[in-house]
Amino acid sequence: MKISQKIITNLKSGGADFFLSVPCKLLANMITILENDKEIYYSAIPREEEGMGICAGAYLGNKLPCIMMQNTGIGNSVNSIVSLLQLYQIPVVFLISYRGTPGEPVGAQGGMGSVTEDILNTLRIPMLHCNIEEDLDKISTFTNHAKVIESPVAVLFNFNLMEDD
Amino acid sequence: MNRFELLNLLQQTIENELVICNIGLPSQELYKINDRPNYFYMLGSMGLASSIGLGLSLSIDKNVISIDGDGSVLMNMNTLATIGNRAPSNYTLLIVDNGSYGSTGDQKTFTNESTSLKNVAIGSGCKNVIECSGEETNENLQKALADKNNSYVIISKIKSGNVPIKPIPLNAVTIRDRFRKEIGLVSYL
Repeated sequence: MKISQKIITNLKSGGADFFLSVPCKLLANMITILENDKEIYYSAIPREEEGMGICAGAYLGNKLPCIMMQNTGIGNSVNSIVSLLQLYQIPVVFLISYRGTPGEPVGAQGGMGSVTEDILNTLRIPMLHCNIEEDLDKISTFTNHAKVIESPVAVLFNFNLMEDD
Repeated sequence: MNRFELLNLLQQTIENELVICNIGLPSQELYKINDRPNYFYMLGSMGLASSIGLGLSLSIDKNVISIDGDGSVLMNMNTLATIGNRAPSNYTLLIVDNGSYGSTGDQKTFTNESTSLKNVAIGSGCKNVIECSGEETNENLQKALADKNNSYVIISKIKSGNVPIKPIPLNAVTIRDRFRKEIGLVSYL
């Protein structure tokens, strides 16, 4: 749980107070932590694109939203990111379990794994890569950065990092 | 009654409630009928009006109305499950169901054939699902807004058809900021 706890603690200290998730086994411990956290709003939701809409509404209501999902979820959400979050300049933190990175046991995850960064680059979304535990300390500042630049930002953590959780 | 006439009629009920309005002609018609800062016009992301309203209603205490369409709900049908499980009492989803993709040339939607959004909403766990005529919509919306303990899904069955209209001349960030000012979050406007 130590990696998961550190990620959530840093997201919260950066200002995130509204969390949604579309499940991934790498997110399971974080979801357990959030389900027991009374300081923030948390819900699971069925689909990432819908989550972008819910996050946009939460920001209109003065929350700083974070949506937790697999990188596959970026593929489900491209239009909502461009035509809602970026069009209206709405900050949202994407906390992305980066499937398809080394350590990944499921070969089929390799496809989205190989295009995820290209998609985020094309969308001009700032990325923070978390490959080792020390990288997690940057999440707080990066979360606040979303609010400052009024834009979505993406935190990607890779498969190996979660093996130490 | 068509959508323009229904949106016009709703002005008798809507006061300072926060409204998230569906993309395309619904927003353009609402803007033409009675532009107000508490109206958030969607300029993109078809399907997400119900979701934006839900996220807003979970974040503040004021009444929130999402004005959506049958075609848009069909595009984001999982929203009904999320609303059925998570919508707070200050949330109302008003689905303007004209059986038609009005903004793209009035092609028929599946609600014109076999699909009942009322049944989908009930099956998704939504409480207080009301299907009614355009004429009955105001009284049902008033009931939903007055009820401080329950969320509502109102499906207003009307005729298809549009009026000649222009795009909304506001940019997205202007819509965002004047809307947030209504909530008390922007002081510089």
